Order: sequence, then C-alpha cells, then structure tokens
Amino acid sequence: MATSFLRDVLKPDRVKLRLQAATKDDAIRELIDILAGPGIIADRAEAERVVFAREALMSTGMECGIAIPHGKTDSVGSLVVSMALKPEGIEFECADGQPARILLMTLSPANRTGPHIRFMAEVSRLLRNEKFRERVLAAGSREEIVALLTQ
Amino acid sequence: MRLPSSVPRVWLCVLLWLGGGTVAHAAEHADGAGADLGHRMMVLMLQLAVILCAARIGAFVCKRYLKIPDVLGELGAGILIGPYLLGPHLHLFPAPVGAAFPVTPELYGIATLASIILLYLAGLETDLGMFLRYSVVGSAVGVGGVVVSFVLGDTVAVWTGLADGYLSPAALFLGTISTATSVGITARVLSQRNKLDSPEGVTILAGAVIDDVLGIVILAVVVGMARVSGAGESMAWGRIAMIAVKALGFWIVCTAGGMLLAPRLSKMLEFFGSTQTMATLSLGVALLLAGLSEMAGLAMIIGAYIMGLSLSRVDAAYELRHRLEPVHHTLVGVFFAVMGMMVNLGAMKGMLGVGFLYAFVAMLAKVAGCAIPALLTRFNMTGALRIGVGMLPRGEVTLLIAGIGLSGGFIDARIFGVAVMMTLLSTLIAPLAMVRIFDDRNGLRAGDGEESGPRAEPVNFSLPNQEVAEFVLSRIVQTFEAEECYVSAVGVREPLFQVRKDETTITVRRDGSTIVLYSADETDREFARLVALESVAELISMLEGLRRAGGVGDVRSQLLA
Repeated sequence: MATSFLRDVLKPDRVKLRLQAATKDDAIRELIDILAGPGIIADRAEAERVVFAREALMSTGMECGIAIPHGKTDSVGSLVVSMALKPEGIEFECADGQPARILLMTLSPANRTGPHIRFMAEVSRLLRNEKFRERVLAAGSREEIVALLTQ
Repeated sequence: MRLPSSVPRVWLCVLLWLGGGTVAHAAEHADGAGADLGHRMMVLMLQLAVILCAARIGAFVCKRYLKIPDVLGELGAGILIGPYLLGPHLHLFPAPVGAAFPVTPELYGIATLASIILLYLAGLETDLGMFLRYSVVGSAVGVGGVVVSFVLGDTVAVWTGLADGYLSPAALFLGTISTATSVGITARVLSQRNKLDSPEGVTILAGAVIDDVLGIVILAVVVGMARVSGAGESMAWGRIAMIAVKALGFWIVCTAGGMLLAPRLSKMLEFFGSTQTMATLSLGVALLLAGLSEMAGLAMIIGAYIMGLSLSRVDAAYELRHRLEPVHHTLVGVFFAVMGMMVNLGAMKGMLGVGFLYAFVAMLAKVAGCAIPALLTRFNMTGALRIGVGMLPRGEVTLLIAGIGLSGGFIDARIFGVAVMMTLLSTLIAPLAMVRIFDDRNGLRAGDGEESGPRAEPVNFSLPNQEVAEFVLSRIVQTFEAEECYVSAVGVREPLFQVRKDETTITVRRDGSTIVLYSADETDREFARLVALESVAELISMLEGLRRAGGVGDVRSQLLA
C-alpha cells in the first residue's frame, strides 16, 4: 500500500540526484523549481508562499534525515511531488537535530479533500528504515530512485 | 439561563406524577370496548413517556451511582414499572388477563423496531477485517463458547425440569439464549484500560464476531424447529436437517448477496450525497430484509443483522452508524425497559434456585468454552481466563432471543424470567471480573511474547489544559475528514473516535488534557502522528492570524464600537 501513491506521482523528471542548495530556504525553492520548470505549478510565488508559511509554523524536518516540506495551494490541480537527495546533509531543523539528506516536497490542492498527510505518512514510514534509506542515497540514477520507492 | 440543578429533577418528578395519573385514567379507559385509535395512540404516547423517563433515570442511577452497566438500570426500571409489579397499582400498565401478552401490540411494535435497529447496527459494527485477521484463534474461541454454552444451556433446561426433552422448544431456546455474547461492555472496559488492541482484546473482538454469526444461525434453526414442533409435527432428524439447511441457505445467500451488492449499494447511496439520506435508505433496506427473513420463517433480527454485516465493509459504514446512533440511543432504552416489563416476578416464585443454577452454568460454560480453545492455541492461563471473562457479558441479543421465544409462545414466563436473571447476573459480574484480571501480566504463552501481534504503542501528547485538548481533538477529527477518512464517535459521552479508511483504523481518545492516538499498523500510527502535528500547526496558524497586528483590535472595535 505504501508505494501506491508514489507510483502515481513520483516520476524520474521530478527527482534531483544532487541538491545544489546550501540553506533550508534555498532547498525549498529548488524543490519548487523542479515542479515549476515544466509548468506543473500554475503560480510559483503562491506555492512558495504556502510552503514557507507552513515551515514558519513548525519545521517539516522529521527524524532520520528526512524532510517533507509541504503545503496546500490551488496552483496545483492534484497532489504533486518533487524529490532531491543531499547525501552530505543540509540543516533543516529536524526533530532529532540531524541534517536532512532525503527531501521530498508535496503540494496538494487547497479546499479539496484527499490524501495529503497520508501520503507524507507513507513516505516517512518507508524511509524510516535505515537500510532502505542508504539504498536510496546510494542510487546512481533518478530511475533507480523511482524504482526503489515504487516497488 | 441556567437553572439550578435541582429544578429539572423536581419538574421531572411532577411530570412523572402527572403523567402517571393521566396514564392511569387513560389505561382504565383503554380496556373499554369503544377504545378508538386516537385513544390507543394517546395511551401509547403516555406509556412511552413514562418508559423513556424511567429507563433513562434507571440507566443514569446505575452508571453514576452504582457504577454498573446502564442496561441493568433500563431493565430494572422496566421490571419496576411493568404490569407485574407497580404497573397495575399505579394504573400505569394494566396486568395482563390470563395468558395475554404483557404489553400492548403497539408498545411491542416499537420495541421490535428498536431491536431491528439494534441488530442492524450490531451488524454494521462487525469488524470482518479484524475477524479474518485473527480468524483462527477467534473462530476457535467463538465456536468453543457457542457450542459449550448451547449444550450446557440445553442440558440444564432438561435436568431442572424446565423442558421435557433436549429437542423441545424450551430447551432449545435456553441453549440458544446462553450462547449470545454482548461484547459492547467488554469493549468499553478494555478501551478504558487501553487493552483493546492487546492480543486478548483482539481475540475477544474476533471471537465475538463468530459468536454473533453462529448465535444468529442457531437462532434461525431453533425458531424453525420450534415452529414445526409448535404445529404439532414430529421432530424427526431429517426434518431438523431440512430446517437447518433452509436457515443456513437463507443466511448464506443473503450474506453473500449482500457482500456482493454492498459496493454497488454504497455507490447508489452515495449518489444521494447526504449521509443522512444514505442512513435512512439503508435502514429501509434493513427493515425490508427483516420482513423477508420473517417471511422465510426466520426471525426478523436475522435479516437486519445480515444487512448490517453486508454493509460493514463499505467506507460509509461508520457514517451510517453515526447517523443512526441517536435513533438507537433513544429507542434502545424502550427495548430494554419493555423486556423488563415482560418479566413476571410472580411466575418466578420457586424459580430463583433454578435461575441461579442456569445463570451459573451459562457463565461457566461461556468462560470454559472460550478459555479452553485460547489455552490450546497461544495463550497461558491468565490470557485464556481473560478471554473467557471478556466473552461473558450478555445483553441485547440474549433478551431478543428470549423475547422472540416468549412472543412466539415457545417459552413461558418462567423461562423468560430465568433468561433475564442470567443476563442481569452475567452483565453485573463480567465488568467487575474484567477490571481485576486485565492487569499488566503477560497473557501469552512463554515464547509467544514476540509474536504477540500488533501490540501498538499509542501515540500520545499532552496539552496545557483540557479545553485546549478538546479544541485540538476537534481539529484532529477535521483533519482526518479532510484526508477523506470516515470519523465516528464511539461513545456519545466519551471523547473517543474511530477513524477509518480502507484498511486504516485509528482510535483517537482524549484523556483529560492528553490526546491518545493508536493503531495496530505502523504506517497508520505515522499517519496519526502527522495528522496530530498538522492539526496543531494549523491551530497555531489560526491563533497567529488572530493575533496579527490589527486582528484583535479590529475584532474589539467591531464588537464594542
């Protein structure tokens, strides 16, 4: 069940093997860029606003080096995901103080019901497994990452 | 506008007194030959008024002051105000003449409707997924409890002279009556002690499913047999087998048909958009099936239960329950009170010994019948005993079966009284025993500890005070709903919710200022954790929005300008 959502929404072109950003804010912008580039997000500024607004309330840095910045905005038509790896880690105010190494951003439409948190829960649950995390981080291509997460 | 707390009680007493007087007047005239429809309805309304109030007060006293299950209060109130005790003296309910049925057809009709709703809801609440998951131990426990109870109940009936043969209707009914388990009381006790998801709790809930199903199948066969023997036909084994096949056939065809049609039916119901419409229509279909099962020579509650069971797997099941629960809560008191009113204490003279013996054997049979299979599988003595005691409470189904027996003329007032005694005693003893034996000892056999199943560590967090916790709880419920989960309140007065979506089941509870979320599944626990986190984040965002420059000042100027 865990991979059912991922299979629908995680595509190789939404994955970045190496995150360039060195700060949390830049990392979020870079994750948004992945989706804004091919026009998946209608209003980039609005998407950035909701994600930063959510981040200001409480960091979305989880445990074990996972971060799932997210937001609800009508600039997307359905749940979308972008993903990036940062093997050396980036400061993301994670709950356990560890730097974030796997970053997944998800945006879903505002004012509409549907899985948003459930998707995050499934990703987080999947990546809590240390061995699995290491395999994802060691992956050599985007296709390999997508294959790992959706199989 | 708040009245002092003593005022409503005073008014209630005055009303009851006035009501009693009026009913007295009405009931006396009801006996007259010229009692027209309007008059009969007036009598019915007045009787219902007294029953509703008496049952509710009885339940309140039992729960609040005596700390015993409220059903005992409703039953007790019925016995007290009924035609065999205070009823005729207060001119409330006239004593039945000769072998006449103790309550009016109108009143019995309402109690029957209540029983159909009750069994429909019981079917809807049935957790087939859980049953399938723990089917091996659960089935063994359920089957063990049913078989041992039925055989011993039937035997005691013959040995004590209540019935003249093992296959006589009275013996068969006493056997069937002792099979039913009412797991609601167990579930409440276990949830309070956070043991609902313990291996014992899960096994009890799974066992109760097979127990219900088997109990209803046995009832179907027994009603069929009793009807045949009542018609004066001989009870040859071939004939019994035919009845059993017919009863089982109806059961299997309806259940399988219901399960197959449920998704389509659920879609059809969803077409109407409103859950209230869905709930009303589904109840309509349940009543239809109840009528059909009676036409097929089975009891009506069987059809209602099958309908509930068929719909129990659809996502909207919890929503349907939620919508029908207020109706159920209002009517169930009437059902228990009417059952109490049918108890003829006079006929029970000299039957107390037999009643105690039957109750004792029925309890022993249930505990042993459930504990032995548990002991043979994966539990130690402690665990097996917990399961046996957890399966002990009897309740609505016992009374329903007894009521069907009495109204069908299959059993007499003495046996009905014995059945009510057994229900009272086991319902009284079970929670007390459960509180004692559900401690922290391990109930599994040595070496089985690791595989003790999904003993989930609940996710919990504390908030500054109860008011904030209440607010956060309501946000959590809304967040789950936004995720397209079905959220239903488990207890009307308790802050306990069940969240369900496909395979996901999460329980959310508030304990003072602490919020506890739990699920057996790890992904679901992660989901619960994140939902709680996002709910708190949203709350902070709302508060900050209010506090933002101008926010509070603006509201103040709007309100005070």
